[in-house]
Amino acid sequence: MENVHEGRLKNAVNKKKKSKWNQILKEKWLYFMVLPGLAYFIIFKYIPMWGIVIAFQDYSPFLGVFRSDWVGFEHFHYFFTNPDFLRLLRNTFILALYDLVFFFPAPIILSLMLNEIRLSFYKRTLQTLVYVPHFMSWVIIASISYVFLTTSGGVVNELLAKLIGQEINFLSSPDWFRPMIIGQIMWKETGWGTVIFLAALASVDQEQYEAAIVDGAGRFRRLWHVTLPALRSTIVILLILRLGNFLDTGFQQIYLMSNSLNRSVADVFDTYVYFVGITEGAFSYSTAVGLFKSIVGIVLIVGADRLAKKLGQGGLF
Amino acid sequence: MKTKFLRYLLMALLVIGIIAVAGCSSDSDSASNESDGESGGDSGDSEDRMELRVFVPTFETEPPTDDSPVLKAIEDYTNTDITMEWAPNSNLEDKFNITLSSGDLPHIMYVPSKSPSFISAVEDGAFWEVGPYLKDYPNLSQANEIILNNSSINGEIYGVYRSRDLGRNGVIIRKDWLENLGMEEPTTIDEFYNMLKAFKEQDPDGNGQDDTYGIVVSKYEGPWDVMQTWFGVPNKWGEDENGELYPYFMDDNYLEALNFFKKLYDEGLVNEDFAVMDPAKWSEPVINGEAGVQVNVLDEGHRIQEKIIDAEPENADPITVIKAVEGPTGLHNLPTSGYSGMLAVSKTSVKSEEELKRALDFLDKMNDEEMQITAENGFEGTHYEIVDGEYQSKLEDDAALKSEIAGFNQMLMYIPEAKSLSATSSPLRQLEEKLKVENEEIVVANPAESYISEIYSKKGQQLDNIIIDARIKYIVGQIDEAGLEEAVELWKQSGGTDYIEEINQLHQEAQ
Repeated sequence: MENVHEGRLKNAVNKKKKSKWNQILKEKWLYFMVLPGLAYFIIFKYIPMWGIVIAFQDYSPFLGVFRSDWVGFEHFHYFFTNPDFLRLLRNTFILALYDLVFFFPAPIILSLMLNEIRLSFYKRTLQTLVYVPHFMSWVIIASISYVFLTTSGGVVNELLAKLIGQEINFLSSPDWFRPMIIGQIMWKETGWGTVIFLAALASVDQEQYEAAIVDGAGRFRRLWHVTLPALRSTIVILLILRLGNFLDTGFQQIYLMSNSLNRSVADVFDTYVYFVGITEGAFSYSTAVGLFKSIVGIVLIVGADRLAKKLGQGGLF
Repeated sequence: MKTKFLRYLLMALLVIGIIAVAGCSSDSDSASNESDGESGGDSGDSEDRMELRVFVPTFETEPPTDDSPVLKAIEDYTNTDITMEWAPNSNLEDKFNITLSSGDLPHIMYVPSKSPSFISAVEDGAFWEVGPYLKDYPNLSQANEIILNNSSINGEIYGVYRSRDLGRNGVIIRKDWLENLGMEEPTTIDEFYNMLKAFKEQDPDGNGQDDTYGIVVSKYEGPWDVMQTWFGVPNKWGEDENGELYPYFMDDNYLEALNFFKKLYDEGLVNEDFAVMDPAKWSEPVINGEAGVQVNVLDEGHRIQEKIIDAEPENADPITVIKAVEGPTGLHNLPTSGYSGMLAVSKTSVKSEEELKRALDFLDKMNDEEMQITAENGFEGTHYEIVDGEYQSKLEDDAALKSEIAGFNQMLMYIPEAKSLSATSSPLRQLEEKLKVENEEIVVANPAESYISEIYSKKGQQLDNIIIDARIKYIVGQIDEAGLEEAVELWKQSGGTDYIEEINQLHQEAQ
């Protein structure tokens, strides 16, 4: 009896295998069409990735990857024992944490607010308007910030002088650097960030709202029991993805806003890699720093994914 | 079915064939180049031209194309076939390093400074040592020994320097303000301070409003370097009585200079936002009548003057310039290095010694009077004309004409001297030129200029930033004297101590 059963199972598996191959063969042209995409990823993404071996070399462009000396983990050792390391780590982490705490919820709140607008024309116009800052480059935003915040005739400081009788040097004060950076990110990206949430909200079944109204739920009850649960999985996925880029603080923005007076808090991994790698030509060393950053990113993204699954949410992988 | 397959096969073969032919042809190109080099040892007369790729900076948004008639004239004169590779000056260092790291270097490459990446490229054998060859060329052989030494790497020369005045730094002052207040040009630091104070408090523009201040400084830290030299702070490295070298910020006068700067800041004599001000807008406050003084290169003086006159034509003579003011240890000024980058010859493109000689021949000819005028002024009658024996450029109001030539002067080295034409000198320009010469008497040399430190090439930028940032923080009051000492301690721990030791060792070897 048991044997028969086992045999059947085997047969089924074999059949399944066979049928899978048959199917692939049948749809070979479809698979053929995947090839260019596959080639793209292999040629432009995976093969260049071998370049990270220079992190373990004393790389010189004239000797090339094959003739440069191997130094093992020397660059990593130097980096971790360097007095700069702790400062960079601290600055990057604090900035990333601020970003997560203050910026991440902003698009959610904004899209909830947009969702409550019932006048569709007004809502659409508003939606378009909040997207606009996303399309401005950091250079422009940095100049705008400078014009507004400078202590020699900036609008904000003239207003502050009238209101509280005191000017604040936002641009050069280390205390104001992080709030300023987060403020800029929020101004630029909050509107754009609502796109995904609004899409998720559009798919909520209107009957649920009607049922909630019948049950006597007010606006906040509906928000809490219908809208937010509908957004939950989107929020979790975006959070996991964000954690993968946790240490990416955005090079351009920080580079443009940093100066002698706030460098103690403005130096982050991204700017350090640029200064050391490009302006000083220490290619191996900066590759090692970049590699370290990527590894932290992978650990965070996998960790967050596991955690999400444990908490009963669908993960990414 | 079979014919179809054959057709595909043929197509594939065709593609492979084209790729192969293209590959081969580029090979044969470079092969013929090499033979060019050999046959053209005696250069000049032979018909086959040397192909040259030239990497130089540009200040133009649209640099001249390779079809420019000016470039054609240069090619004809030097018997070369030039391809220009322009790098925007604003991100020159990046472009330079990226070109270096590509491993495919142009024949002639502009080297902005003896940066760590350049030095390591030299160590890896990317550039020719041209020093021993210079004596064979009529112009290059007349190169200035001191500047050659300054531009060398521990005595070896890897590029022909582009000559500039040594004493370009100076002080630009609103002359009309001085006259309004009945003041003289300052000669000492105290008088300089009094002038700044008066510019802020005594309404020098006479409009009845408190809308002026003393000196404008931008994010660029040059002015602080110049002004601290007035106090007797050495240029980068000082030498004590035992012949030991020490970094400038360990000099006794350094703190005194910084306290002076701090006083300027505290009393509002310098613009409050200097640490974040865009250097591109540095001259604007002087032009607009907000600030009265700028410490900059002397030739900025006439540029500012021209802009003020454009805006208010009745103000005919608004600017004057001085060299420096006298400090406690006498009259000092900070020199510019005497050169602005070098033109180096790469080994990856220029493979043989014969070719090197032709490349150097090109560089040499670029110093001939005819080439200097062609590259900087253009053709007489087209780009400029001589009216009553005076040079007049026609480029100012003709953008098309300007785009034929603007930037080719980046290939000039002005060795032994500048022979290109310049506009009739206004009194201010004449004064600027006179002061540049006088400056050479009072400039403070850097005793370690030619030494190449391994530690510095590894982390020079970080080391420099520690000290520069601390100086700015001290000026605005973010840190006090103790904080300044902490910064020096950090500098020492970050490799500074070894750096001092290394420089001193090099210094002893050079003695």
